[in-house]
Amino acid sequence: MARRRGLVINDEQMQMIDGVLTKLQRVTSSSFVALISTSGQPITMVPADADADTLSLAALAAGSFAATRQLAEVLKEREFTLLFHEGKESNLHVIQVTEQILLLLTFGRETQVGRVRLYTSRALEVLKPIFEDAEDTSGGDGIIDGEYSRAAGTAIDDWFPTQNE
Amino acid sequence: MALINLAAREINYKIVYYGCGLCGKTTNIQYIHRRVNPGARGRLVSIATEEERTLYFDFLPLSLGTVKGLRTRFHLYTVPGQSFYNASRKLVLQGVDGVVFVADSQISRLDENVDSYLNLWDNLMSQSEDPSNLGIVLQMNKRDIGGIFSVADLTELLNHTGSPVIEACALTGVGVFETLKTVCKQVIAKSSRT
Repeated sequence: MARRRGLVINDEQMQMIDGVLTKLQRVTSSSFVALISTSGQPITMVPADADADTLSLAALAAGSFAATRQLAEVLKEREFTLLFHEGKESNLHVIQVTEQILLLLTFGRETQVGRVRLYTSRALEVLKPIFEDAEDTSGGDGIIDGEYSRAAGTAIDDWFPTQNE
Repeated sequence: MALINLAAREINYKIVYYGCGLCGKTTNIQYIHRRVNPGARGRLVSIATEEERTLYFDFLPLSLGTVKGLRTRFHLYTVPGQSFYNASRKLVLQGVDGVVFVADSQISRLDENVDSYLNLWDNLMSQSEDPSNLGIVLQMNKRDIGGIFSVADLTELLNHTGSPVIEACALTGVGVFETLKTVCKQVIAKSSRT
């Protein structure tokens, strides 16, 4: 059985990713573009100061996308690779980048869906190889070492209440 | 999978509360949400039925703060306990770093506990990643009521990995933070290289 895989993204990869997302946001006129993991964790977003609850958004979008994949299985479809929610004021578009990564865009009704799909598919071609390099099987690239474990253990002891107060 | 963003100096861990229906998974999360420092928690998201039974998951992000220059977060999830929601449970388990198995200590819930425990391991094994790298804690909930199993009996039934065992009453909060602390330390230790 394989060792559990993690994901480690370094500065250089993140600069490339943010560059792609910034361009994608501009050409699609999206209000918000984000990358999240399929396990529901946010990775990065553009603009960085967007007024969005990214933690909740990532958890819900990843859950929704995972459910969509299962729907495909039930319907004997090989896969549904994207998810689209149409709202009165804004739309949400979620598409798979790699097995572990999803791309999420929100955009207003003034933006054509076809335009979003076209530029998103181009962005995927650039993003996929970056994340293939980011997959980690080494145990956190040495970042999570004994020293970190001990410091985190102390922080956990100090942080959470020890008794019912 | 732990997600490490070196550019943002950030690490995220995913912890899932697992167990049979009405064993107290959501009660654990709700208690943590009520009692933890508001500055350290995000929004509690619940996808529940009209009867307030968990339909898909509950989600609560917690921030430990910055440790050795890394902003460290734990994302807590529950699964729906009712047996017919297995597809949802599998989805929530994706990318998990640690599991809290919440056992209902009542003797009358024996079958549900065992079914849920076997179901957990079936689902973990089907992920094709090694479950021995996960942090696992067994929480024995509802220790404050009558008609319950002894700790030794429940350990025999539901703890083939020899994981830490914590007695709890999630309604009043007894053992809730001890459980959380134990599983958080475990997932960090398991993700460490040394």
